[in-house]
Parts: sequence; structure tokens; C-alpha cells
Amino acid sequence: MILLALPGCIQKVPSDVVEAIESLDHQLIESQGAEYAPDAYGRFAKHWVALRRQLQAEEDEIVWPWETNPLLASLETVRAEGEEAVAQSLMRRDARRLETEARLAFLEGRMRTFNSRVDDMGGRVVLGGRPVETALLLHQARSFFDQGLYDRSIQVARQAAGMMEVQTAVLTTTLGHYADERRVHMWRRIAQQTIEWSRLHHTAAIVISKADRRLTVYRNGRQVLSYPVRLGYNGILEKRYQGDGATPEGQYHIIRKRDRGHTQFYRALVLNYPNSEDRRRFQQARHAGHIPADSFIGGQIEIHGGDDILMSQTLGCVMLENRHMDAIFREVESGTPVTIVGALRLTNSIALALAGLDQTEEG
Amino acid sequence: MKRLLMFAIVPLFMFAACAKAPTEQVTAAEKAVIDARTAGAPKYAPEEFAKLESALTNAKNEVAEQDVKFGFLRDYEKAEQVLTTTQADATRVSEETAKRKEHAKAAAMQAQQAAQAAVTTAQDLVAKAPVGKDRAALEAIKADVDGLATSLPDIQKTLDTEDYQAAQVKAKAVQDKSQAASAELERALAKVHKAKPIKKT
Repeated sequence: MILLALPGCIQKVPSDVVEAIESLDHQLIESQGAEYAPDAYGRFAKHWVALRRQLQAEEDEIVWPWETNPLLASLETVRAEGEEAVAQSLMRRDARRLETEARLAFLEGRMRTFNSRVDDMGGRVVLGGRPVETALLLHQARSFFDQGLYDRSIQVARQAAGMMEVQTAVLTTTLGHYADERRVHMWRRIAQQTIEWSRLHHTAAIVISKADRRLTVYRNGRQVLSYPVRLGYNGILEKRYQGDGATPEGQYHIIRKRDRGHTQFYRALVLNYPNSEDRRRFQQARHAGHIPADSFIGGQIEIHGGDDILMSQTLGCVMLENRHMDAIFREVESGTPVTIVGALRLTNSIALALAGLDQTEEG
Repeated sequence: MKRLLMFAIVPLFMFAACAKAPTEQVTAAEKAVIDARTAGAPKYAPEEFAKLESALTNAKNEVAEQDVKFGFLRDYEKAEQVLTTTQADATRVSEETAKRKEHAKAAAMQAQQAAQAAVTTAQDLVAKAPVGKDRAALEAIKADVDGLATSLPDIQKTLDTEDYQAAQVKAKAVQDKSQAASAELERALAKVHKAKPIKKT
């Protein structure tokens, strides 16, 4: 009878405490406690391992109900350590998550602004495949974040940030002259010379600003017409060879007027591109290996009409709406000077877009 | 007196010789855990691996505790039990890791194939894209698709390093971007077809 009654009197270690501690151990593994709370986790793990050994060793020992179980206090201490470690781990993991999310959101916003500025300046083609490389990296960073792999997310996000710096450098190198005071001053000077020529000769002259995408007709030194234009698909670049999609810069003149029926582009004014300066630059660039050895200088640069709504750019020519082309056609003749410059103001759209590349979205 | 001492000391030496530290078992268990680590258990079975390491530490601590005891008081039985269990568990975790790794590899390769197919679709659409319309946009998409095609070998390189998680993430990114480029090209093609004049009969 006494023997049968014994099990009910023997005090065992409360299983709910042991289960609670094992659950904390589990939570610490799930919350990556070793990474986010290494010291607290280390303390807990060391004490729990030792205590568990002790529990196993004293499993067969009898503790009478009137005796204090010495392991109880240790269990409660270990439980408290485990709770502290879990709280710390979760708090730090959350902080890491928020930090990673903020960084990603910042870069994604920056990429959107960056792409928008690049589109504004018409510089997308300049960048080649680099924008998609950046987009791929940010996509991967976001995927790692969604999987809770914050360190990997940050690592890849850094690569994306690096790619954006590379893109900025490419654009600055290729288009930085739009923000160069001396260059803009030179452009303004030759535009002014052209306007002055029209005043002295009491005749028409054309000035085209690529950054403004604007064609202006002067007569007797005064503006008489001004219209928006479409340029080559790589129009803002300096023309280097046939097929590069750039619109040339320089001082030209009209060599032929093509009326309706004589051109596929409604009406056209053929320019004397390439001039001697263009040929010199082309030879220099080919000799230096800056352009393909088998490239040609090209020709057939015109100011022309065309109401094809799907034609947003040309292959290098300057295009206007047909009604605007009609007005210009009436004003000019063979021999009319045509000066094409990059920009007429330092605060031109390309310079401003370049300056805004480092900005991010507001809010 | 001397005889008495002999009777006391000899049994002591006999008892001391009985409790032998399970050195070979410790080495075997350590090797099994290292094998599990090498197989990639920390990545593919992190919880199980953490428990393995904890159990091995537990056993080694137990052995160390017994080592400092006086010869005949040493009892390595519990440590040996844990070491035996740990070795068996480590082998099981290695096998489970291998299975999960194969699964991750299969998923990554499937993602790679999907990415390849998406890039090919985009390249085919680029070839059909109307020329001479929004040339800048077309050149931009062409550059994007070229960039996507260039990134495909990078997925294979990542697969070769057995970082299947990263490979799958990269492949998914390429697939998504390729599909977006294809959608844009399809919209452009639809616009062209809409603008074509209808033949009068």
C-alpha cells in the first residue's frame, strides 16, 4: 500500500517548466538567436545544456514532498534567461528587418527617380544593359528580404547601389558637356552668330537646340517661328557615325528643298551634313578606335515633316509636325544657315536631369 | 602495514582501469557532425543541426566532467549514450540535408529553365518588333533583353557553387523581367497592328 502510494508523493520536476524551456530553445533557433542575440543565447544554451544533464542524472532520485527541489530554482533561472534571449533576438531581428526594408525602399525609390530622369533626358540608350542589371539586383534583394534573409538582401542591395553609381558615371561622362559652362557658352556664341548673320543679311536662319528639342527660325535677327521637334533615338549624343541614332551638332546650311511628292517625309530640307568639321572628327575618332573601324560617316540629315503617330524619334534627322513644316518651308531657301547646338542655357533639361540623378522620391 | 596498504591500493588501481574515456566515440560523433555541416546541414536543416551541435557539446562536457573524477568514480555511460545517439542523428541529418539539397537544386534548375524560356520569348518578340517607330523605346527594350540574356550564365555559375537558393532567386528575377519586357513588346506590336489600314475589298 505504502509502495503504491509512493509515486503520488514523490516530487518530480514540473514537466510544464521543462516544456516551456524547450519551447524557448525552439523559438531561439527559429528566430536565429545565435545570430541576433549571441551572448544571451550562448548563456541560455550553456546553462540549459548543463541543467538538462543534471535533470537526466537525477531522474531516478527521490525528492520528498517536504523537501525543496533544488532544480526548480535553476529551471526558473534558465527559463528567465531563455525568455530574455528570445525577446532580444526577436527585437534585434525586427530592427534588422526594418533597417533592410528601409534600405530597399530607398534604393527602389532612387531607381524609379533615376530611370525617370534618364527618360527625361533621352539617355536610356546610352546606358545599354545596365538599367536591367540594376533592376535584377534589386529584384533579388527584395526576394531575399521576403524570405527573411536580411544580410543577403543588404549585400545584393549594395551591389545594386554600386550599379547605379556606375550608370551615373556613364551618363556624366557621355552627357556632362550639357552642364559644362564653357561648352554651353560656345554653343550660345555660335547660335548668336547665326542670328546675327540673319540680321546682317536680312534673311532667314535656323537655330536648333537639342536639349530643348526646339527649332527657331530667325529673320532679320528676330525670332519669327519656333516649334517643338523630334530628334534621333539617340539624339542628345554627338553624332559619330552612320546608324548611331544621334543628331549632329554644328553649323550647316540647306542644300536642297524637297516638296511634297519628292520625299517620304511630307516635306524636307536637306542639310550639308557631313561638313568638313564632321569629316575631320569622324577620321579622328576612327583613327583613335573610338568608333568601329568599318563604320561610315553617313549623310542624308534633314529637317522634315511626318505625322506618323508611332514615330517618336528619327534615325538622326530633325522632325516636325507637317503644319509646322509647312510654315518653315515657306520661310527658308537653299543656302539658309542651320545651326544645331546641344543647349542654349546652362539650366537646360539634360543638365538639370544629370544634377537630379542622385535624388530620391519624396515621401 | 605494507600488506594492508597493498590490499587497499591494488583494488583502487583495478577500479581506475575500468572507466575508460570514450575517445573513439567522441571522435566518431565529431566526424559525423562535421560531415553533416559539410553536407550543408546549417543551411538546409538548421534546427536539426543546431540540436546536433548542442548534443555533441553536452556529451563532450559530460566526458570532461567524468574525466576529472577519481578513477573508480568515473561513469561514462550517459556520455556514451548521447554520443551514440548524436552519431546516428548526424547521419540521419546528413541524409535529410542531401534530400533537401536535391529538392532545392531541382527547384533552382526548374527556375533556370523558366528564365531561359522567358528570355527566348522576349528575344523572339524583339525580332518581330516594329522598326522605325518609337526607336528609342525599342532600343531600350533590346538592350534590356540583351542584358537579361547576358545574365543567364550567371545563374549557371551560381548553380555550380551549389547556392541553390541564390540561383533560384536570380532565375526568378530574370524570368519576371523578361516577362515584363515581353508584355511591353506585345503592347507595341498590338499598337502597330491597330494602326495598319484595313484593306478595302
